[in-house]
Amino acid sequence: MATNPMHQFNVHRIGPEIKIAGVDISFTNASLFMIISAISICLLLFLGTKKRKIVPDKIQLVTEMFYNFIAKMISDTAGSKAKPYFPFIFSLFMFVLFCNMVGMLPYSFTVTSHIIVTLILAIFIFIAVTIIGFIKHGFGYLKLFVPSGVPIVLLPLITVIEVISYLSRPVSLSVRLFANMMAGHTMLKVFGGFVISLGLLGGWLPLSFSVALTGLEILVAFLQAYVFAILTCIYLNDALNLHH
Amino acid sequence: MRIFFLLLVATLATRIDLFAAEAGMPQLDPKYWASQAFWLILVFTLLYLSISKFFIPKIKDTMEDRNNKIKDDIDEANNLKNISEKKLNEYNLLIEKAKKEVQKILNENKNKLNTEIQNKKKIIDKEIEEEISKAQNEIKNLKKEAVGSIGKISEEIAMKIIEEISGDKLNENSVKAAVAESSKKNINKYL
Repeated sequence: MATNPMHQFNVHRIGPEIKIAGVDISFTNASLFMIISAISICLLLFLGTKKRKIVPDKIQLVTEMFYNFIAKMISDTAGSKAKPYFPFIFSLFMFVLFCNMVGMLPYSFTVTSHIIVTLILAIFIFIAVTIIGFIKHGFGYLKLFVPSGVPIVLLPLITVIEVISYLSRPVSLSVRLFANMMAGHTMLKVFGGFVISLGLLGGWLPLSFSVALTGLEILVAFLQAYVFAILTCIYLNDALNLHH
Repeated sequence: MRIFFLLLVATLATRIDLFAAEAGMPQLDPKYWASQAFWLILVFTLLYLSISKFFIPKIKDTMEDRNNKIKDDIDEANNLKNISEKKLNEYNLLIEKAKKEVQKILNENKNKLNTEIQNKKKIIDKEIEEEISKAQNEIKNLKKEAVGSIGKISEEIAMKIIEEISGDKLNENSVKAAVAESSKKNINKYL
């Protein structure tokens, strides 16, 4: 069973079954690894802000690097108006990054490799951005779908395309992260399975592939968290500074 | 690479029964969707709250403190620099003043010494002059005395010569008169 590359994505209950109004919300391994990721983030931030040195030590430097990285990303993509949303983007980036990275540990579970998790995050972002857009611009936010400088003949077509692309944002955002994580982990598992099935003679090639893929997956884990956060910033930018 | 790909296909072919066992992607099984949604919202909300209310203000404060400290340090350094420059100027002024004073004292002393030397010189000159005039007077007196005694001696010599030549004794007065006369004529040459 262990050689099934999809087995690692199985969700199973830990502890008793919890049901509220007929809905099963039992504690599962997915919940466990969400909590592990969140606690890791809090631990890093706690250690990084404990001493508050003028000349930072290593862990404080890492914390401040994360802070500056996100701050720069937000100010570059969404401008100074996006400052109130900094804690949210920061939490989002850290959560996705740590879920991805914790998933890279052997025998762990990758929370972000489940479409339901990424979809909930993406839908929340989509709804929040839409509400922010309507609050800031009223019905003028609908101008987002009508780009300026387009010939009047093409306008209906363009508007339809814009509406579709806007509505597909949560899907693309969630599927991008989910598919990347799932594909990467499946590949790792497949190559890991080859190492065993090909034995001592033939196993070296997939093993070296596995090592290389692990490096690649760590890069992807970071990159996807970054992409998730920066796309959120870009959507936020559309809502805050209507520039169509 | 091609061999490797063939191996991959072969292995997948032998294991295909295992895939069938679990029927595709567990992600699409809705059994635990509600649970995942619930725990995601719970955990993420708690994480967001702790980050926004606790950690981010702390990081912000730390970085602001650092910037303020750097600013303060730079200000203090500038202050100290200004103070040291002031001190240096004061010190230079002091040295210049001292140099001027030294010059002044030097000049004063020089002048004092000069006048003193001049005064002493004058006094000594006067003394020398007095001594000279005294000596001159003495010489004059001596000369006069010498002239007097020369007159007498010449009278006696003249009388003796005349006695020896003529054998007569001449009148003392006439000899005296003749000697005085010739003395008067010639004495000025020696006085």
